[in-house]
Amino acid sequence: MIAGFRPYMTSARLDGYQREIRQIDAGVHDANTSAAAALAPTSGHASASFARRFPDVVDFGTQWAPIDRSMTNMLTTIQANVGNYNAVAALPNFSLFPWFFVIPGAVLLILVGIAVVRPTWWTAVRWALVVLGVGLVLAPVAFQMFTRAPAGEYMVNAFRTIETRSNVQSIQSDFGTIAGGEGAIQLELVPALHAAGFTDTQIATRFPGITALEHNWVGILNDLTPMIGAMSDNVGNYQAVAALPPFPLFPWFFLLPGLLIGGLAFAAAPRRRAALPAPLPVPNRQFSEGGS
Amino acid sequence: MNHSHLSRRGRTGFVAATLLAGAVTATALTAAATGATTAPKTLTGTFLIAKGTSANGVPHGSYFRMVYPGGSVTKGKFFANPNSSATNKTYTLISPGTAGGLRTGKFQPAPTPAFDAKGNSRARSIIIPTSFTGINFGVVTASRDAQTGKKVSAPSINVLNGKLSGDLRAFAANWNNLSFNQGSPKPNGTRPGLTASVTGTYNAKTHVYVLNWTSAIIGGPFNGFTGVWHLTGAFRAGK
Repeated sequence: MIAGFRPYMTSARLDGYQREIRQIDAGVHDANTSAAAALAPTSGHASASFARRFPDVVDFGTQWAPIDRSMTNMLTTIQANVGNYNAVAALPNFSLFPWFFVIPGAVLLILVGIAVVRPTWWTAVRWALVVLGVGLVLAPVAFQMFTRAPAGEYMVNAFRTIETRSNVQSIQSDFGTIAGGEGAIQLELVPALHAAGFTDTQIATRFPGITALEHNWVGILNDLTPMIGAMSDNVGNYQAVAALPPFPLFPWFFLLPGLLIGGLAFAAAPRRRAALPAPLPVPNRQFSEGGS
Repeated sequence: MNHSHLSRRGRTGFVAATLLAGAVTATALTAAATGATTAPKTLTGTFLIAKGTSANGVPHGSYFRMVYPGGSVTKGKFFANPNSSATNKTYTLISPGTAGGLRTGKFQPAPTPAFDAKGNSRARSIIIPTSFTGINFGVVTASRDAQTGKKVSAPSINVLNGKLSGDLRAFAANWNNLSFNQGSPKPNGTRPGLTASVTGTYNAKTHVYVLNWTSAIIGGPFNGFTGVWHLTGAFRAGK
Protein backbone atom coordinates (compact mmCIF):
# COMPACT_ATOMS: atom_id res chain seq x y z
CA MET A 1 0.00 0.00 0.00
CA ILE A 2 2.75 2.43 1.00
CA ALA A 3 4.71 1.72 -2.20
CA GLY A 4 1.56 1.84 -4.33
CA PHE A 5 0.63 5.29 -3.06
CA ARG A 6 4.15 6.73 -3.19
CA PRO A 7 3.89 8.44 -6.62
CA TYR A 8 0.70 10.22 -5.58
CA MET A 9 1.46 11.23 -2.01
CA THR A 10 3.33 14.43 -2.69
CA SER A 11 1.98 17.92 -2.19
CA ALA A 12 2.92 18.85 -5.77
CA ARG A 13 1.04 15.90 -7.25
CA LEU A 14 -2.01 16.45 -5.07
CA ASP A 15 -1.97 20.20 -5.84
CA GLY A 16 -2.00 19.15 -9.50
CA TYR A 17 -5.10 17.02 -8.95
CA GLN A 18 -6.84 19.88 -7.17
CA ARG A 19 -5.93 22.17 -10.08
CA GLU A 20 -7.36 19.65 -12.55
CA ILE A 21 -10.60 19.40 -10.57
CA ARG A 22 -10.85 23.18 -10.71
CA GLN A 23 -10.24 23.05 -14.49
CA ILE A 24 -13.08 20.58 -14.95
CA ASP A 25 -15.27 22.75 -12.71
CA ALA A 26 -14.50 25.87 -14.75
CA GLY A 27 -15.21 24.04 -18.01
CA VAL A 28 -18.54 22.68 -16.74
CA HIS A 29 -19.47 26.12 -15.41
CA ASP A 30 -18.64 27.92 -18.68
CA ALA A 31 -20.46 25.28 -20.71
CA ASN A 32 -23.67 25.59 -18.72
CA THR A 33 -23.65 29.36 -18.23
CA SER A 34 -21.86 31.62 -20.71
CA ALA A 35 -21.75 29.10 -23.58
CA ALA A 36 -25.37 28.18 -22.96
CA ALA A 37 -26.29 31.85 -23.07
CA ALA A 38 -24.28 32.39 -26.25
CA LEU A 39 -26.09 29.53 -27.98
CA ALA A 40 -29.52 30.47 -26.65
CA PRO A 41 -32.14 31.46 -29.16
CA THR A 42 -33.15 35.09 -29.14
CA SER A 43 -36.63 34.18 -28.01
CA GLY A 44 -38.27 31.46 -25.96
CA HIS A 45 -36.92 29.49 -22.97
CA ALA A 46 -33.17 29.59 -23.37
CA SER A 47 -32.36 26.94 -20.76
CA ALA A 48 -34.97 24.49 -22.05
CA SER A 49 -33.71 24.92 -25.58
CA PHE A 50 -30.11 24.37 -24.51
CA ALA A 51 -31.10 21.26 -22.55
CA ARG A 52 -32.83 19.83 -25.62
CA ARG A 53 -29.82 20.47 -27.84
CA PHE A 54 -27.15 19.43 -25.40
CA PRO A 55 -28.68 17.00 -22.90
CA ASP A 56 -25.31 15.39 -22.10
CA VAL A 57 -23.75 18.77 -21.30
CA VAL A 58 -26.64 19.70 -19.03
CA ASP A 59 -26.58 16.25 -17.36
CA PHE A 60 -22.89 16.67 -16.73
CA GLY A 61 -23.56 20.07 -15.19
CA THR A 62 -26.08 18.51 -12.83
CA GLN A 63 -23.95 15.51 -11.92
CA TRP A 64 -20.71 17.43 -11.59
CA ALA A 65 -21.52 19.30 -8.36
CA PRO A 66 -21.63 16.19 -6.11
CA ILE A 67 -18.67 14.66 -7.94
CA ASP A 68 -16.71 17.87 -7.42
CA ARG A 69 -17.54 17.89 -3.70
CA SER A 70 -16.66 14.24 -3.29
CA MET A 71 -13.36 14.45 -5.19
CA THR A 72 -12.32 17.71 -3.56
CA ASN A 73 -13.04 16.33 -0.10
CA MET A 74 -11.13 13.16 -0.90
CA LEU A 75 -8.12 15.07 -2.21
CA THR A 76 -8.21 17.40 0.80
CA THR A 77 -8.21 14.41 3.14
CA ILE A 78 -5.36 12.77 1.26
CA GLN A 79 -3.41 16.03 1.19
CA ALA A 80 -3.87 16.49 4.93
CA ASN A 81 -2.25 13.09 5.43
CA VAL A 82 0.88 13.58 3.33
CA GLY A 83 2.91 14.14 6.52
CA ASN A 84 1.39 11.09 8.17
CA TYR A 85 2.05 9.05 5.04
CA ASN A 86 5.68 10.19 5.01
CA ALA A 87 6.01 9.18 8.67
CA VAL A 88 4.68 5.70 7.94
CA ALA A 89 6.74 5.41 4.76
CA ALA A 90 9.85 6.09 6.85
CA LEU A 91 9.09 3.04 8.99
CA PRO A 92 10.53 -0.31 7.91
CA ASN A 93 8.50 -2.08 5.25
CA PHE A 94 5.35 -3.64 6.70
CA SER A 95 6.28 -6.97 5.15
CA LEU A 96 9.36 -7.02 7.40
CA PHE A 97 7.41 -6.54 10.62
CA PRO A 98 6.71 -10.24 11.29
CA TRP A 99 10.44 -10.91 11.04
CA PHE A 100 11.11 -8.34 13.74
CA PHE A 101 9.33 -10.74 16.08
CA VAL A 102 10.22 -14.06 14.49
CA ILE A 103 13.97 -13.43 14.43
CA PRO A 104 14.32 -12.28 18.09
CA GLY A 105 12.04 -15.16 19.08
CA ALA A 106 14.22 -17.64 17.22
CA VAL A 107 17.39 -16.14 18.72
CA LEU A 108 15.83 -16.36 22.17
CA LEU A 109 14.97 -20.03 21.70
CA ILE A 110 18.44 -20.85 20.39
CA LEU A 111 20.11 -19.09 23.31
CA VAL A 112 17.88 -20.82 25.86
CA GLY A 113 18.59 -24.11 24.09
CA ILE A 114 22.32 -23.50 24.33
CA ALA A 115 21.99 -22.69 28.02
CA VAL A 116 20.16 -25.98 28.62
CA VAL A 117 22.65 -28.10 26.65
CA ARG A 118 25.75 -26.28 27.90
CA PRO A 119 25.05 -24.99 31.40
CA THR A 120 28.65 -23.84 31.69
CA TRP A 121 28.01 -21.28 28.92
CA TRP A 122 25.26 -19.62 30.91
CA THR A 123 27.21 -16.44 31.56
CA ALA A 124 27.82 -15.82 27.86
CA VAL A 125 24.23 -16.77 26.99
CA ARG A 126 22.92 -14.44 29.69
CA TRP A 127 24.82 -11.48 28.25
CA ALA A 128 23.60 -12.35 24.76
CA LEU A 129 20.03 -12.30 26.10
CA VAL A 130 20.66 -8.93 27.71
CA VAL A 131 21.92 -7.62 24.35
CA LEU A 132 18.83 -9.06 22.63
CA GLY A 133 16.57 -7.36 25.15
CA VAL A 134 18.37 -4.04 24.80
CA GLY A 135 18.10 -4.34 21.00
CA LEU A 136 14.35 -4.82 21.22
CA VAL A 137 14.04 -1.87 23.59
CA LEU A 138 16.09 0.37 21.30
CA ALA A 139 14.37 -0.68 18.02
CA PRO A 140 11.27 1.52 18.40
CA VAL A 141 13.47 4.40 19.46
CA ALA A 142 15.76 3.94 16.46
CA PHE A 143 12.79 3.79 14.07
CA GLN A 144 11.06 6.71 15.83
CA MET A 145 8.03 4.52 16.24
CA PHE A 146 6.64 6.55 19.14
CA THR A 147 6.00 9.49 16.80
CA ARG A 148 5.56 7.73 13.45
CA ALA A 149 3.19 4.96 14.50
CA PRO A 150 0.46 7.33 15.78
CA ALA A 151 0.77 9.24 12.50
CA GLY A 152 0.14 5.96 10.69
CA GLU A 153 -2.91 5.34 12.84
CA TYR A 154 -4.24 8.78 11.94
CA MET A 155 -3.73 8.10 8.22
CA VAL A 156 -5.34 4.66 8.35
CA ASN A 157 -8.37 6.16 10.07
CA ALA A 158 -8.55 9.04 7.59
CA PHE A 159 -8.53 6.61 4.64
CA ARG A 160 -11.16 4.33 6.17
CA THR A 161 -13.96 5.73 4.00
CA ILE A 162 -11.74 6.37 0.98
CA GLU A 163 -9.96 3.07 0.46
CA THR A 164 -13.02 0.86 0.12
CA ARG A 165 -14.20 -1.14 -2.88
CA SER A 166 -17.53 0.71 -2.97
CA ASN A 167 -15.83 4.11 -2.91
CA VAL A 168 -13.41 3.08 -5.65
CA GLN A 169 -16.33 1.89 -7.78
CA SER A 170 -18.06 5.20 -7.11
CA ILE A 171 -14.94 7.02 -8.34
CA GLN A 172 -14.84 4.75 -11.41
CA SER A 173 -18.45 5.69 -12.09
CA ASP A 174 -17.62 9.38 -11.59
CA PHE A 175 -14.78 8.95 -14.05
CA GLY A 176 -17.27 7.64 -16.60
CA THR A 177 -19.49 10.66 -15.98
CA ILE A 178 -16.59 13.09 -16.31
CA ALA A 179 -15.31 11.42 -19.49
CA GLY A 180 -18.78 11.42 -21.02
CA GLY A 181 -19.43 15.03 -20.03
CA GLU A 182 -16.10 16.27 -21.27
CA GLY A 183 -16.74 14.46 -24.52
CA ALA A 184 -20.10 16.19 -24.86
CA ILE A 185 -18.46 19.59 -24.34
CA GLN A 186 -15.63 18.83 -26.75
CA LEU A 187 -17.59 17.01 -29.45
CA GLU A 188 -21.01 18.68 -29.28
CA LEU A 189 -20.79 22.07 -27.61
CA VAL A 190 -17.55 23.38 -29.11
CA PRO A 191 -18.58 22.43 -32.69
CA ALA A 192 -21.90 24.18 -32.03
CA LEU A 193 -20.02 27.30 -30.94
CA HIS A 194 -17.96 27.12 -34.12
CA ALA A 195 -21.13 26.70 -36.14
CA ALA A 196 -22.55 29.77 -34.39
CA GLY A 197 -19.62 31.78 -35.71
CA PHE A 198 -17.18 31.72 -32.80
CA THR A 199 -13.52 31.39 -33.71
CA ASP A 200 -11.07 29.49 -31.54
CA THR A 201 -9.72 32.80 -30.23
CA GLN A 202 -13.19 34.05 -29.38
CA ILE A 203 -14.02 30.78 -27.63
CA ALA A 204 -10.78 31.01 -25.64
CA THR A 205 -11.56 34.59 -24.66
CA ARG A 206 -15.25 34.23 -23.83
CA PHE A 207 -15.19 30.66 -22.45
CA PRO A 208 -11.71 30.19 -20.99
CA GLY A 209 -12.88 27.33 -18.79
CA ILE A 210 -13.94 25.31 -21.81
CA THR A 211 -10.70 25.99 -23.67
CA ALA A 212 -8.55 25.11 -20.65
CA LEU A 213 -10.48 21.86 -20.14
CA GLU A 214 -10.10 20.91 -23.81
CA HIS A 215 -6.41 21.75 -23.74
CA ASN A 216 -5.67 19.83 -20.54
CA TRP A 217 -8.08 16.91 -20.88
CA VAL A 218 -5.54 14.31 -22.00
CA GLY A 219 -3.19 15.42 -19.21
CA ILE A 220 -6.05 15.07 -16.73
CA LEU A 221 -6.69 11.53 -18.02
CA ASN A 222 -2.96 10.75 -17.83
CA ASP A 223 -2.97 11.83 -14.16
CA LEU A 224 -6.36 10.67 -12.96
CA THR A 225 -6.57 7.11 -14.25
CA PRO A 226 -3.33 5.80 -12.69
CA MET A 227 -4.44 7.24 -9.35
CA ILE A 228 -7.77 5.42 -9.62
CA GLY A 229 -5.78 2.31 -10.52
CA ALA A 230 -3.54 2.69 -7.45
CA MET A 231 -6.57 3.22 -5.22
CA SER A 232 -8.29 0.16 -6.67
CA ASP A 233 -5.23 -2.08 -6.55
CA ASN A 234 -4.57 -1.22 -2.90
CA VAL A 235 -8.01 -1.74 -1.38
CA GLY A 236 -6.99 -5.20 -0.17
CA ASN A 237 -3.60 -3.99 1.09
CA TYR A 238 -5.24 -1.11 2.96
CA GLN A 239 -7.73 -3.44 4.59
CA ALA A 240 -4.90 -5.73 5.66
CA VAL A 241 -3.06 -2.79 7.24
CA ALA A 242 -6.24 -1.48 8.87
CA ALA A 243 -6.80 -4.94 10.39
CA LEU A 244 -3.45 -4.78 12.20
CA PRO A 245 -3.40 -3.87 15.89
CA PRO A 246 -3.55 -0.12 16.55
CA PHE A 247 -0.36 1.52 15.32
CA PRO A 248 0.43 3.28 18.63
CA LEU A 249 0.85 -0.16 20.21
CA PHE A 250 3.62 -1.10 17.77
CA PRO A 251 6.53 0.32 19.78
CA TRP A 252 5.31 -1.53 22.87
CA PHE A 253 5.43 -4.82 20.99
CA PHE A 254 9.21 -4.33 20.95
CA LEU A 255 9.67 -2.50 24.21
CA LEU A 256 7.86 -4.87 26.56
CA PRO A 257 9.44 -8.14 25.29
CA GLY A 258 12.80 -6.38 25.27
CA LEU A 259 12.44 -5.26 28.88
CA LEU A 260 11.23 -8.71 29.87
CA ILE A 261 14.03 -10.64 28.17
CA GLY A 262 16.78 -8.20 29.10
CA GLY A 263 15.51 -7.75 32.65
CA LEU A 264 15.14 -11.46 33.35
CA ALA A 265 18.52 -12.26 31.84
CA PHE A 266 20.14 -9.52 33.84
CA ALA A 267 18.47 -10.68 37.04
CA ALA A 268 19.46 -14.28 36.42
CA ALA A 269 23.06 -13.71 37.43
CA PRO A 270 24.67 -16.78 38.99
CA ARG A 271 24.46 -16.51 42.78
CA ARG A 272 27.75 -16.16 44.60
CA ARG A 273 28.43 -19.11 46.91
CA ALA A 274 27.82 -18.11 50.55
CA ALA A 275 30.86 -18.48 52.93
CA LEU A 276 30.94 -21.86 54.62
CA PRO A 277 30.09 -21.76 58.35
CA ALA A 278 32.96 -22.32 60.77
CA PRO A 279 33.38 -25.96 61.84
CA LEU A 280 31.65 -26.84 65.06
CA PRO A 281 33.94 -27.41 68.00
CA VAL A 282 34.65 -31.03 68.75
CA PRO A 283 33.07 -31.96 72.08
CA ASN A 284 35.46 -32.91 74.91
CA ARG A 285 34.78 -36.54 75.46
CA GLN A 286 36.67 -36.70 78.68
CA PHE A 287 34.61 -33.96 80.19
CA SER A 288 31.35 -35.29 78.94
CA GLU A 289 32.09 -38.80 79.88
CA GLY A 290 33.44 -37.74 83.30
CA GLY A 291 34.57 -40.58 85.54
CA SER A 292 32.70 -41.69 88.58
CA MET B 1 -10.51 -80.27 -29.14
CA ASN B 2 -8.25 -77.48 -28.17
CA HIS B 3 -7.92 -76.47 -31.81
CA SER B 4 -11.71 -76.45 -32.21
CA HIS B 5 -12.08 -74.23 -29.12
CA LEU B 6 -9.58 -71.66 -30.50
CA SER B 7 -11.40 -71.62 -33.82
CA ARG B 8 -14.67 -70.74 -32.13
CA ARG B 9 -13.00 -67.89 -30.24
CA GLY B 10 -11.39 -66.71 -33.46
CA ARG B 11 -14.70 -66.72 -35.26
CA THR B 12 -16.37 -64.83 -32.44
CA GLY B 13 -13.57 -62.22 -32.46
CA PHE B 14 -13.79 -61.89 -36.23
CA VAL B 15 -17.54 -61.29 -36.09
CA ALA B 16 -17.14 -58.68 -33.31
CA ALA B 17 -14.37 -56.87 -35.19
CA THR B 18 -16.45 -56.86 -38.36
CA LEU B 19 -19.45 -55.40 -36.55
CA LEU B 20 -17.27 -52.74 -34.92
CA ALA B 21 -15.64 -51.79 -38.22
CA GLY B 22 -19.06 -51.60 -39.82
CA ALA B 23 -20.35 -49.32 -37.10
CA VAL B 24 -17.33 -47.04 -37.39
CA THR B 25 -17.63 -46.92 -41.16
CA ALA B 26 -21.35 -46.16 -40.95
CA THR B 27 -20.72 -43.34 -38.46
CA ALA B 28 -17.98 -41.87 -40.66
CA LEU B 29 -20.19 -42.09 -43.75
CA THR B 30 -23.06 -40.42 -41.88
CA ALA B 31 -20.75 -37.66 -40.65
CA ALA B 32 -19.39 -37.11 -44.13
CA ALA B 33 -22.90 -36.96 -45.55
CA THR B 34 -24.04 -34.35 -43.00
CA GLY B 35 -20.78 -32.37 -43.08
CA ALA B 36 -20.24 -32.97 -39.36
CA THR B 37 -16.81 -33.82 -37.99
CA THR B 38 -15.77 -35.21 -34.67
CA ALA B 39 -12.44 -33.47 -34.14
CA PRO B 40 -12.02 -29.69 -33.94
CA LYS B 41 -9.86 -28.13 -36.61
CA THR B 42 -7.43 -25.38 -35.75
CA LEU B 43 -7.83 -22.29 -37.90
CA THR B 44 -4.35 -20.84 -38.38
CA GLY B 45 -4.22 -17.58 -40.24
CA THR B 46 -5.80 -14.15 -39.92
CA PHE B 47 -9.27 -13.37 -38.74
CA LEU B 48 -9.74 -10.31 -40.94
CA ILE B 49 -11.74 -7.68 -39.10
CA ALA B 50 -14.74 -6.14 -40.81
CA LYS B 51 -14.86 -2.46 -39.94
CA GLY B 52 -17.50 -1.53 -37.40
CA THR B 53 -20.30 0.70 -38.60
CA SER B 54 -23.44 2.05 -37.07
CA ALA B 55 -26.85 2.69 -38.56
CA ASN B 56 -29.97 3.75 -36.72
CA GLY B 57 -28.33 3.04 -33.40
CA VAL B 58 -27.52 -0.53 -34.38
CA PRO B 59 -23.85 -1.51 -34.71
CA HIS B 60 -22.60 -3.69 -37.53
CA GLY B 61 -19.21 -5.25 -37.97
CA SER B 62 -16.67 -5.35 -35.17
CA TYR B 63 -16.97 -3.49 -31.90
CA PHE B 64 -16.01 -3.32 -28.25
CA ARG B 65 -18.11 -2.48 -25.20
CA MET B 66 -17.32 -2.16 -21.54
CA VAL B 67 -19.65 -3.18 -18.71
CA TYR B 68 -19.49 -1.35 -15.38
CA PRO B 69 -18.72 -3.36 -12.24
CA GLY B 70 -21.86 -5.12 -11.07
CA GLY B 71 -23.44 -4.89 -14.52
CA SER B 72 -24.43 -7.59 -16.95
CA VAL B 73 -23.18 -8.37 -20.45
CA THR B 74 -26.70 -8.22 -21.84
CA LYS B 75 -28.18 -5.34 -19.84
CA GLY B 76 -25.18 -3.20 -18.89
CA LYS B 77 -24.66 -0.65 -17.49
CA PHE B 78 -22.23 0.07 -20.31
CA PHE B 79 -19.49 2.69 -20.35
CA ALA B 80 -20.31 5.39 -22.89
CA ASN B 81 -17.34 6.39 -25.00
CA PRO B 82 -18.03 9.95 -26.16
CA ASN B 83 -15.53 9.56 -28.97
CA SER B 84 -17.30 6.57 -30.49
CA SER B 85 -18.50 7.13 -34.01
CA ALA B 86 -21.51 4.93 -33.29
CA THR B 87 -24.86 6.51 -32.59
CA ASN B 88 -25.04 4.45 -29.41
CA LYS B 89 -21.87 5.59 -27.65
CA THR B 90 -21.63 2.41 -25.61
CA TYR B 91 -20.32 0.72 -28.76
CA THR B 92 -16.76 1.56 -29.76
CA LEU B 93 -16.42 0.58 -33.40
CA ILE B 94 -13.27 -1.18 -34.53
CA SER B 95 -11.34 -0.88 -37.79
CA PRO B 96 -8.80 -3.44 -39.08
CA GLY B 97 -5.13 -2.73 -38.55
CA THR B 98 -2.19 -3.18 -40.86
CA ALA B 99 -2.33 -6.99 -40.61
CA GLY B 100 -6.02 -6.88 -41.39
CA GLY B 101 -7.04 -8.43 -38.11
CA LEU B 102 -6.22 -11.00 -35.47
CA ARG B 103 -3.63 -13.61 -36.27
CA THR B 104 -3.76 -17.08 -34.79
CA GLY B 105 -0.65 -19.10 -34.12
CA LYS B 106 1.39 -15.90 -34.01
CA PHE B 107 1.75 -12.92 -31.73
CA GLN B 108 1.13 -9.32 -32.74
CA PRO B 109 3.00 -7.46 -30.01
CA ALA B 110 3.11 -3.74 -29.36
CA PRO B 111 5.87 -1.72 -31.00
CA THR B 112 8.57 -0.08 -28.91
CA PRO B 113 7.62 2.26 -27.36
CA ALA B 114 4.07 1.00 -26.98
CA PHE B 115 2.65 4.49 -26.37
CA ASP B 116 3.21 8.02 -27.60
CA ALA B 117 3.79 10.96 -25.27
CA LYS B 118 0.06 11.37 -24.63
CA GLY B 119 -0.60 7.73 -23.80
CA ASN B 120 -2.05 6.81 -27.19
CA SER B 121 -1.42 3.19 -28.17
CA ARG B 122 0.96 2.79 -31.12
CA ALA B 123 -0.08 -0.82 -31.78
CA ARG B 124 -1.59 -0.81 -35.27
CA SER B 125 -1.38 -4.42 -36.37
CA ILE B 126 -4.72 -5.87 -35.25
CA ILE B 127 -6.85 -2.72 -35.20
CA ILE B 128 -6.26 0.92 -35.96
CA PRO B 129 -6.01 2.64 -32.57
CA THR B 130 -9.30 4.29 -31.86
CA SER B 131 -10.21 7.05 -29.43
CA PHE B 132 -11.59 6.06 -26.07
CA THR B 133 -12.47 9.16 -24.02
CA GLY B 134 -9.84 11.13 -25.88
CA ILE B 135 -6.92 8.68 -25.85
CA ASN B 136 -6.45 6.03 -28.56
CA PHE B 137 -6.55 2.40 -27.53
CA GLY B 138 -5.02 -0.44 -29.50
CA VAL B 139 -4.93 -4.19 -29.05
CA VAL B 140 -1.98 -6.55 -29.03
CA THR B 141 -1.12 -10.18 -28.50
CA ALA B 142 2.24 -10.71 -26.82
CA SER B 143 4.08 -13.77 -25.55
CA ARG B 144 4.26 -12.18 -22.10
CA ASP B 145 1.11 -10.45 -20.89
CA ALA B 146 2.10 -6.88 -19.97
CA GLN B 147 -0.41 -6.54 -17.15
CA THR B 148 0.20 -9.80 -15.30
CA GLY B 149 3.75 -10.52 -16.47
CA LYS B 150 2.76 -14.11 -17.28
CA LYS B 151 3.94 -16.00 -20.35
CA VAL B 152 1.00 -16.89 -22.55
CA SER B 153 0.34 -18.95 -25.63
CA ALA B 154 -0.35 -17.46 -29.06
CA PRO B 155 -4.01 -16.98 -29.98
CA SER B 156 -5.69 -20.11 -31.22
CA ILE B 157 -9.16 -20.61 -32.67
CA ASN B 158 -10.75 -23.96 -33.43
CA VAL B 159 -13.78 -24.88 -35.44
CA LEU B 160 -16.05 -27.86 -34.92
CA ASN B 161 -19.24 -28.23 -36.92
CA GLY B 162 -19.23 -24.53 -37.73
CA LYS B 163 -18.85 -23.47 -34.09
CA LEU B 164 -15.78 -21.57 -32.98
CA SER B 165 -13.91 -21.89 -29.72
CA GLY B 166 -10.45 -20.82 -28.74
CA ASP B 167 -7.83 -19.46 -26.42
CA LEU B 168 -7.20 -15.73 -26.59
CA ARG B 169 -5.39 -15.28 -23.27
CA ALA B 170 -2.69 -13.22 -25.02
CA PHE B 171 -5.20 -10.57 -26.12
CA ALA B 172 -4.70 -7.19 -24.41
CA ALA B 173 -5.85 -3.61 -24.82
CA ASN B 174 -3.34 -0.77 -24.52
CA TRP B 175 -4.60 2.65 -23.43
CA ASN B 176 -3.21 5.64 -21.58
CA ASN B 177 0.18 4.03 -20.87
CA LEU B 178 -1.61 1.06 -19.34
CA SER B 179 -2.18 -2.52 -20.47
CA PHE B 180 -5.41 -4.38 -19.73
CA ASN B 181 -5.55 -8.10 -20.39
CA GLN B 182 -8.71 -8.75 -22.35
CA GLY B 183 -8.26 -12.39 -23.10
CA SER B 184 -10.36 -15.43 -22.45
CA PRO B 185 -9.28 -17.32 -20.53
CA LYS B 186 -7.14 -14.93 -18.47
CA PRO B 187 -3.35 -15.50 -18.53
CA ASN B 188 -3.59 -17.88 -15.57
CA GLY B 189 -6.19 -20.00 -17.33
CA THR B 190 -9.17 -18.89 -15.23
CA ARG B 191 -12.36 -17.08 -16.22
CA PRO B 192 -13.13 -14.72 -13.36
CA GLY B 193 -16.22 -12.55 -13.09
CA LEU B 194 -18.04 -12.13 -16.38
CA THR B 195 -15.19 -13.59 -18.42
CA ALA B 196 -16.77 -15.98 -20.92
CA SER B 197 -15.26 -18.45 -23.35
CA VAL B 198 -14.55 -17.57 -26.94
CA THR B 199 -17.54 -18.58 -29.03
CA GLY B 200 -18.67 -17.91 -32.56
CA THR B 201 -19.53 -19.29 -35.93
CA TYR B 202 -17.59 -20.06 -39.07
CA ASN B 203 -18.81 -20.84 -42.55
CA ALA B 204 -16.22 -23.05 -44.23
CA LYS B 205 -17.47 -22.11 -47.68
CA THR B 206 -17.59 -18.34 -47.37
CA HIS B 207 -14.95 -18.14 -44.59
CA VAL B 208 -17.17 -15.62 -42.82
CA TYR B 209 -16.72 -15.76 -39.08
CA VAL B 210 -18.15 -14.18 -35.95
CA LEU B 211 -16.16 -14.23 -32.72
CA ASN B 212 -17.51 -13.21 -29.31
CA TRP B 213 -15.98 -13.23 -25.89
CA THR B 214 -15.99 -11.23 -22.69
CA SER B 215 -13.11 -10.58 -20.35
CA ALA B 216 -13.16 -9.13 -16.85
CA ILE B 217 -10.57 -6.44 -16.18
CA ILE B 218 -8.52 -7.42 -13.17
CA GLY B 219 -6.61 -4.55 -11.59
CA GLY B 220 -5.97 -0.97 -12.57
CA PRO B 221 -8.38 1.93 -13.00
CA PHE B 222 -11.01 -0.22 -14.72
CA ASN B 223 -10.81 -3.06 -12.22
CA GLY B 224 -14.17 -4.86 -12.13
CA PHE B 225 -15.25 -3.68 -15.57
CA THR B 226 -15.76 -6.28 -18.30
CA GLY B 227 -14.77 -5.93 -21.92
CA VAL B 228 -17.22 -7.29 -24.49
CA TRP B 229 -15.59 -8.11 -27.81
CA HIS B 230 -17.37 -8.81 -31.06
CA LEU B 231 -15.19 -9.44 -34.09
CA THR B 232 -16.53 -10.40 -37.46
CA GLY B 233 -15.19 -10.64 -40.97
CA ALA B 234 -13.56 -13.34 -43.07
CA PHE B 235 -10.92 -15.85 -42.11
CA ARG B 236 -7.84 -16.06 -44.32
CA ALA B 237 -5.78 -19.21 -43.82
CA GLY B 238 -1.99 -19.01 -43.81
CA LYS B 239 1.00 -19.31 -41.56
